Amino acid sequence: MSRTGQSVHLIELRTVTKIYPGAGRGFTALDHIDLALPAGELTAIVGKSGSGKSTLVNLIAGIDRPSQGEVLVGGTPVHALDESRLAAWRGRNVGVVFQFFQLLPTLTVAENVTLPMDFCDTYPPAEARARSLSLLERVGIADQADKLPSALSGGQQQRAAIARALANDPPVLVADEPTGNLDSRTADSVLDLLGELTRAGKTVVVVTHERDWAQRFDRVVALADGRVEVRP
Amino acid sequence: MTGTRWKKLGRDLWTERWRVVLMVAAIAVSLVGVGAVLGGYSILTREVPRNYLGTHPASAALELESGVEPALVEEVRRRPGIADAQAGEIVLARAKVGEDWIAMLLFVIDDFDGMRLNTFGHQSGAWPPPQGTMLIERSAERMLEATEGGTVVVKTPHGRAREVKVTGVVHDPGLAPAWQEREGYGYLTRATLAELGESTQLGELRISVRESPFDAKSIEATVAELAKWLGERGHRVLQARVPPPGRHPHQTQMMGVLFLMLSFSAMALVLSAILVATSIAAILARQVRELGVMKTIGARSGQIAGLYAVLIAVVGAVAVAVALPVGIAGARGLSTMVAGMLNLELGSQTIPWWVFAVQAAAGLLVPLAVAVIPIARGSRITVREAIDQHGAVPPGRPRPWSLGLSRFASRGVVLAFRNALRRRARFVLTLSLLAAGGAMFMSALNVSQGWERIVSRVYENRSYDVEIRLDAPASVAERLRQLEGVRTVEAWGYHRTALWQADRVDVVRTYPDGSHGSFALMGPPPATELVRFPLLAGRWLRAGDTDGVVLNHMVLAQAPDTSVGDWITLSFEGRPTRWRVVGIVEEVGSPAVAYVTDDAYARVTGGSGRVRMLRLATSAGSQEARAAVIHAIEGALEQEGVSVEAVIPLAMLRTAMGDHVAVLVRMLLAMAALMVVVGMLGLGSTMGTSVLERTREIGVMKTIGATPGRIARLVVGEALVIGVSSWVVATALAVPLTALVGKTVGMLSFRVRLPMVMDPAAVASWLALVVVVAVVATLLPARRASRLTVWETLGQV
Repeated sequence: MSRTGQSVHLIELRTVTKIYPGAGRGFTALDHIDLALPAGELTAIVGKSGSGKSTLVNLIAGIDRPSQGEVLVGGTPVHALDESRLAAWRGRNVGVVFQFFQLLPTLTVAENVTLPMDFCDTYPPAEARARSLSLLERVGIADQADKLPSALSGGQQQRAAIARALANDPPVLVADEPTGNLDSRTADSVLDLLGELTRAGKTVVVVTHERDWAQRFDRVVALADGRVEVRP
Repeated sequence: MTGTRWKKLGRDLWTERWRVVLMVAAIAVSLVGVGAVLGGYSILTREVPRNYLGTHPASAALELESGVEPALVEEVRRRPGIADAQAGEIVLARAKVGEDWIAMLLFVIDDFDGMRLNTFGHQSGAWPPPQGTMLIERSAERMLEATEGGTVVVKTPHGRAREVKVTGVVHDPGLAPAWQEREGYGYLTRATLAELGESTQLGELRISVRESPFDAKSIEATVAELAKWLGERGHRVLQARVPPPGRHPHQTQMMGVLFLMLSFSAMALVLSAILVATSIAAILARQVRELGVMKTIGARSGQIAGLYAVLIAVVGAVAVAVALPVGIAGARGLSTMVAGMLNLELGSQTIPWWVFAVQAAAGLLVPLAVAVIPIARGSRITVREAIDQHGAVPPGRPRPWSLGLSRFASRGVVLAFRNALRRRARFVLTLSLLAAGGAMFMSALNVSQGWERIVSRVYENRSYDVEIRLDAPASVAERLRQLEGVRTVEAWGYHRTALWQADRVDVVRTYPDGSHGSFALMGPPPATELVRFPLLAGRWLRAGDTDGVVLNHMVLAQAPDTSVGDWITLSFEGRPTRWRVVGIVEEVGSPAVAYVTDDAYARVTGGSGRVRMLRLATSAGSQEARAAVIHAIEGALEQEGVSVEAVIPLAMLRTAMGDHVAVLVRMLLAMAALMVVVGMLGLGSTMGTSVLERTREIGVMKTIGATPGRIARLVVGEALVIGVSSWVVATALAVPLTALVGKTVGMLSFRVRLPMVMDPAAVASWLALVVVVAVVATLLPARRASRLTVWETLGQV
């Protein structure tokens, strides 16, 4: 799934609808979405609260399943995988970055980064440690490797979370409001980091409220009431 | 296990250390119970037969009218089917202890070095005892208040009271302990017996059978053939005693109680496993977001399940490591106690490997098996369920009962009920844990109360103060009636009997001590004032009952299908006598007895004009006064020169029964204590978890103005709802459980169901325990939570 110069759509959503059960007919978060994102781009998903942004990235990451339609990532029909295969696939193919970092509090920063390698058996323990240090170096917090997450600032924690998302070298990164809990300067540096990753060949999909940063993305997908509003 | 996930597991264990300690403690306590009882059981099932069979117990003892000469013994040994034979004699004498006379069995041994059957071991002193002296059984030292070098005043039925020196001590594991039977055991030669005024004839032919030595029917068949053969040679067999083959007199009861204890321990283990399951469910609930994160970064359900399974395995392994040595000590303590109760010598207290294997397997697998459901549920949670915050949750509906409750209960009570039921699965688990623990606690106390009550029936059903077995002219009753302090004297017919078997010798299932398993025919005045046994069927005797018989419930052990209206044939000195059963009574603390009217008894015996048993009531108001009257009675009998076999004050029967059950009651109370520990650990853990989980909610309540006192009332109210609900269920469950356990132990000990007792103290103390532990376990974490700032509480996951 590397960039080949051809117009390859790494991520494809075909007539995807997502309805959450609830009172009456439930809540329609996504309504017949068709979307194709090429490999190696930094894509922003924007929209108001409740527009379906998080649901969209959850479907791409295999965190949730569509009520209707198909989700293909690198040709894999994500919507059709069972939970166990989905977990294994996600571990190797998608890195997820959350708004609230979600680092495991009892593990050090470096251990948080090695955990995905452990679950997916991608690197032996000795190599995993070296790789985690290298990833932390890449995101600029190597000196924090052996601290617990609670000792880090918000920006540092988000960088650690990005390093963890890169642990198994997945081709796709999804980030759900990765800057939502950070000050503007730190948020800026995190976006820079995601941009660098794109340039290094990763396909990055970012959910954000910030329309002002549109020029920093290769592509912006705007959602309103569960539908794609603009497709540049 | 060098992977990062295992580091996480280790740190989770440390973070949850107090909960882990609770889990370990609960499992360890139960495993100690399992280990102690199972270990004790394994030691005793090996050592009891080793001790008892080591005495080469006779398969049967035949009482010969003509006595047993050595030549006859030799001939019997050569008979087909006979493995060995020996002559012996047991004399029922009396020993003076302080101012009282107690029963004493004198075992007459022809050749101490040539004993072949019913042997015993030498402990100290002389062997054999020099003429004019005797050896005593070690468990009789306490009863006789004598030891080696001391003396005992002994009086045989046909002799005068005489001081006999104790020259040694023996151990006779074939007998129930003397202190339990409230009698003395002495061992002497024929020459010494002659000095005590008794005939030196050995009247008992003891045999062991060659084929099927542990099959009572086979033994009885061999005995029947031998009796026939003896009869043809002019040796009339009066009675044959066939004790339950290969079994110590108290073995069945003891093993039954151990089995019961094992059941309680196993239940405690299941309860502690439920506690582990609830704790794991709580840990999973607290880590739900972490589960979501782990799944997001590639963890499969199986990997997560494996993590928590290993956590439980670690808890189980630590518990096993703690419980094994304590269990070993418990097993040794228990087996020593039971061995003391059965008067056994434990040759070895080695515990077989399988006990440890069972303990280890139980400690590792039972918690894992019970925790499978919460682990499966927790590990299968989807990532979205774990981390999603879209808030689209199906709306809940208030339960109809909760709406109804709000009409008459305060808002606080309604809230407490709703909160308690919010996590219904955990509520049910906690309720089950506490209810089962409470039911077992109450049942253990109820059964011990039932036991106390049944022992107290000795007094309720009997109005006499002393029973005297003697052989005297009928006029002696009138003589005793004149004594000061004697209120009532009744002369009862008394003779041993057996179920009649045509063309067969009378067989009773009696041990050598002659008491366990014996069967007597008694002839009370029909209008007796001195006994009033509860009727199980039919009626008591009437004056006109010439052929009517009332059986006590112990007879039904020998003739189980007998009912009122049936005809029953009893042997009287080898003659058949037919009786119509008119009633069946419950008579606790007595061997099998068939009651007929004194007139009918006289008809059967030919009206010899002699008295064999007297029952007397005194007008004494205190134990001391009663003892004084009994001493006066004994003095009068001595003056009359009456041959007295035994004087049995009712208080002695009461004490003997109490001693029989005392250890059993203590064992049940130990089980109750085990339940208290496991149950309270469970309640404390669950309540603590419940509050910790709601730290965030407590923060929300504080932001909207709830005071710490208000919060405390709310969470304590919830704890009380769970505690009191479990108490109600436990009390309801205790009824059938008490009945079941009472039936089991009652049948084992007295062959009756124990009376159904719901001990108010047991019910109240469980409620008090539940309330106190619920409040303490809730208030401490609630206080801690209420001291956190709102920001801190809301920051909690």
